[in-house]
Amino acid sequence: MNAGQQTARRLAARAGRPVCRSCRSRNTYATAAAASAPVEAPIQQAHQAQHTPPVTVAAPSYAINAGVVLSRPPLITRDLHPLEAAFFLYQRRLNERLALPFARYFYFKKKTPADLEWKRKIKQRLTPARDIGRYEGYGEESWNDELLINAPESEIAWQVEQLLQDAEKTGAEGEGAGENSNVPSTETTEAGEKSSTATPVQQGSARKVEHEPIERPMPRITEADEKGDLKSLNRALQRTLYLLVKDREGRWMFPQDKIIGKENLHLAAERILVQSSGLNMNTWIVGNVPIGHHEHNFLPGAAKPVDSTDIGYKTFFMKARIMAGQANLTDNKLGLADFKWLSREEMEKVVEKKYWHSIKNMLAER
Amino acid sequence: MNLSIFRPTSRHLTPSTFRTPTLLRQNARPTISKPTTTTPAPRAPFSATTFLQKRKTKNLTDPRITAIRYHLTHPLTPRPLRFSRTRYLRHWTIHRAWLLFLRKQRWTQERALERQYMSMRAACEALRLLDDKGNTVSEAEAGGFGADAGSLGARGREVGRLYRSAMSKKKVWGSVPVEYARAQVDFPSREGWNHAWMR
Repeated sequence: MNAGQQTARRLAARAGRPVCRSCRSRNTYATAAAASAPVEAPIQQAHQAQHTPPVTVAAPSYAINAGVVLSRPPLITRDLHPLEAAFFLYQRRLNERLALPFARYFYFKKKTPADLEWKRKIKQRLTPARDIGRYEGYGEESWNDELLINAPESEIAWQVEQLLQDAEKTGAEGEGAGENSNVPSTETTEAGEKSSTATPVQQGSARKVEHEPIERPMPRITEADEKGDLKSLNRALQRTLYLLVKDREGRWMFPQDKIIGKENLHLAAERILVQSSGLNMNTWIVGNVPIGHHEHNFLPGAAKPVDSTDIGYKTFFMKARIMAGQANLTDNKLGLADFKWLSREEMEKVVEKKYWHSIKNMLAER
Repeated sequence: MNLSIFRPTSRHLTPSTFRTPTLLRQNARPTISKPTTTTPAPRAPFSATTFLQKRKTKNLTDPRITAIRYHLTHPLTPRPLRFSRTRYLRHWTIHRAWLLFLRKQRWTQERALERQYMSMRAACEALRLLDDKGNTVSEAEAGGFGADAGSLGARGREVGRLYRSAMSKKKVWGSVPVEYARAQVDFPSREGWNHAWMR
């Protein structure tokens, strides 16, 4: 990352100017020897020699952790803002007034079935667009292009339904609104049963069906959404979901572990993913650069390893994406108890407040 | 030197120099034809060029081209959009509301990007000042940043090791998986998420 701001201050600091007082007070032990400028050095050493007791324990340190922000990107488009939906429909109806007449002979050869079907349909809906309702941009009523409040045409579901019906129907006069949609399925069942006893009525009903059955799109709210299954990746399809795990102390956080030896953050993230949530996830660590960090100081009475001089840990988060698979915590090496796939808002309620303060800025809005 | 390979085969590209000598020769030296024989004047025995076919029918234009022409030169091009006063005011209000909405949306998106950038920046800065013990060192002890990321500070390699490896751009662009190119769609797939994916 090219962190190129505050250049002048840094250059000045590296040129040998003394560190400011707040920095000096923050970097107490490790940097006391080297931080001070040559001019100040004797004074500071004398100052320390007078007031600090002789050091008996090793200098305190922080454990350096790598964390993995494993996220599933949104799979479907977001819901439109009400203003957006209304504005788009308004513009599409306005476009009918501005567009030139539909060049039918460019698309359909004369007197072909497609041409006849088009003529039947445009007679019914008056406009080439199939999902803006009955409106004609030419003629006496062309000024009346605005919809009334709460008109069904402004519903997205209504527009989708119109597109589907247009694909299913042939525009024939006898076709009803409701009965035609399920005719293809009944025709296939009836064809086997009643082909021997075919009556003219049934032949007439079978002749009406000329289009293949159109598959309905899947709902945007899935089954896992309705059940509230927080472990499923098939939920909240409009949102980015993040993998959160519960550690030994029962805190929810991103999977994290100490960096071992000389490995860098990228390699550590890959290792932590495998060790925490198993091999059966198709993941990708996005880059070498951390997207955020979190510093945690242990409480004075907190239990910690005896030989450790750590007074806390610093975690650097790496961004990762999941493309397929599911987390599996059985036999994980990090002592994790549970996992969840949560969106940004749901995460805020689960994690600790200080942790949330550190991670909220690196998460995407959606 | 055999130039036949350079001779073009299509008629309109054929230079007349290939034919002209023969014609000139014929004109300069008219053939002595006997009046009894009505044989036509000898033509070139062989010609690689194709003859233009005479159009036997009148010029038929593709009906699609006619349709395009008709609609491009439609008398209502461009169609006038006439509004009444109140209708125009309503349109103007809608337009201003849309612009306002766009501005707010863009502002929100920019702030979100800026938050993410500053989070990365702060993490990188913390990495740069991080020594082996996890403590934060001073500016003089830390290495450089930006284009100068490889340089070391007063304490040498023990400060900012993770920062220097994070700044490495090796293999950053070579490893993008093809599944990452998936676009968002309006309706989810029938199969749903593939939970049973196995490595």
